[in-house]
Amino acid sequence: MPLLEGSVKDPSLAEAGRSRIAWAGAYMPVLAQIRDRFEIDKPLKGVRIGACLHVTTETANLMLALQAGGAQIALCASNPLSTQDDVAAALCEYGIATFAIKGEDHATYYSHIESVIATHPQISMDDGCDLVTAIFTKHKDQLGELIGGCEETTTGVIRLRAMQREGVLPYPIVAVNNAMTKYMFDNRYGTGQSTLDGIVRATNVLLAGRTLVVVGYGWCGRGIASRAAGMGAHVVVTEVDPRKAIEAVMDGYRVMPMDDAARAGDIFVTVTGNYHVVREEHFRLADRPRHDRASRLRRTVRVARRTQDLHSRRRAPHQPRRG
Amino acid sequence: MDMSFSNQALVAAYLAKHHAELDKGRVYDVPIEIDEEVARLKLSSMGVEIDTLTPEQVKYIASWSEGT
Repeated sequence: MPLLEGSVKDPSLAEAGRSRIAWAGAYMPVLAQIRDRFEIDKPLKGVRIGACLHVTTETANLMLALQAGGAQIALCASNPLSTQDDVAAALCEYGIATFAIKGEDHATYYSHIESVIATHPQISMDDGCDLVTAIFTKHKDQLGELIGGCEETTTGVIRLRAMQREGVLPYPIVAVNNAMTKYMFDNRYGTGQSTLDGIVRATNVLLAGRTLVVVGYGWCGRGIASRAAGMGAHVVVTEVDPRKAIEAVMDGYRVMPMDDAARAGDIFVTVTGNYHVVREEHFRLADRPRHDRASRLRRTVRVARRTQDLHSRRRAPHQPRRG
Repeated sequence: MDMSFSNQALVAAYLAKHHAELDKGRVYDVPIEIDEEVARLKLSSMGVEIDTLTPEQVKYIASWSEGT
């Protein structure tokens, strides 16, 4: 079926989007090589892909690689706040039906997911399981059309494994998150850097000498802890997994329960994939006023990628390429 | 995101080719061949070279009969 045109904030932003997509592409040499191969081999010829990802410059390069491989693609946002409107506009021009507007409300966000599902995808590409869940709960009639899916992030994989356990996973999904070339690098170095970048931009605090509490010592937590320590912060780690807690201790950090960390910390970063991690009672324990500020940082992981892209946008027009 | 999205692209192509061999209700890990291919391409883009095992080393590391 023909793809829909898309829904974006302002099509006239496309030119700015194109140049930023090209900028990000210059730092994605592996994907560029794959795109070249795809141009020749067309491994996705005629395959309809529905993607629910952060609509950013990096994602745009993935979309273009898939398109080069012959896929027909529809894309919506996996987070209503991370969309870059100029990128969304450019993607529509490139022939990728994009349904994403930065700051879109709840209803629009879900209507955009519906628009992607309306293109009858055969492969779903998720970052947090939203597409799979919507297809499974509301579009069971389309399940037969789906040949498989991929999931980008840890939290999505946890949910998919829960679906597998309950015997309701409707089609095979590959956990891209679990590739070593994903979690060891994206999570540790990418999120590690961009989370601190987001905190510094949002607060202007000097990290040196502050106590930064990292809640969860997975790959993201490891990256944030080591980078924060490198900038002179005193790092405290909280964990629920005894093995990771030992690792944090031996990596040189103080490990303690959240009740104690709430008293000790200046800045809190949760990287657990779970919710209600830093609760109201913890904020009461922390009697210093600056915790109000920290409370706005509770969702730093989500913020992380957005700020990473802001960073490349700021740099793009003026500064020479690195290396 | 270069390696992460390279995995996505290669996995999409893998699904297009191999979906009939996969169980419906299962979460799969990325095939190690794809993971290693992405790493090889990344190293090559960085101009970094690495070693390979000699045939003797391959045999030694896979056997139980030789003492360690």
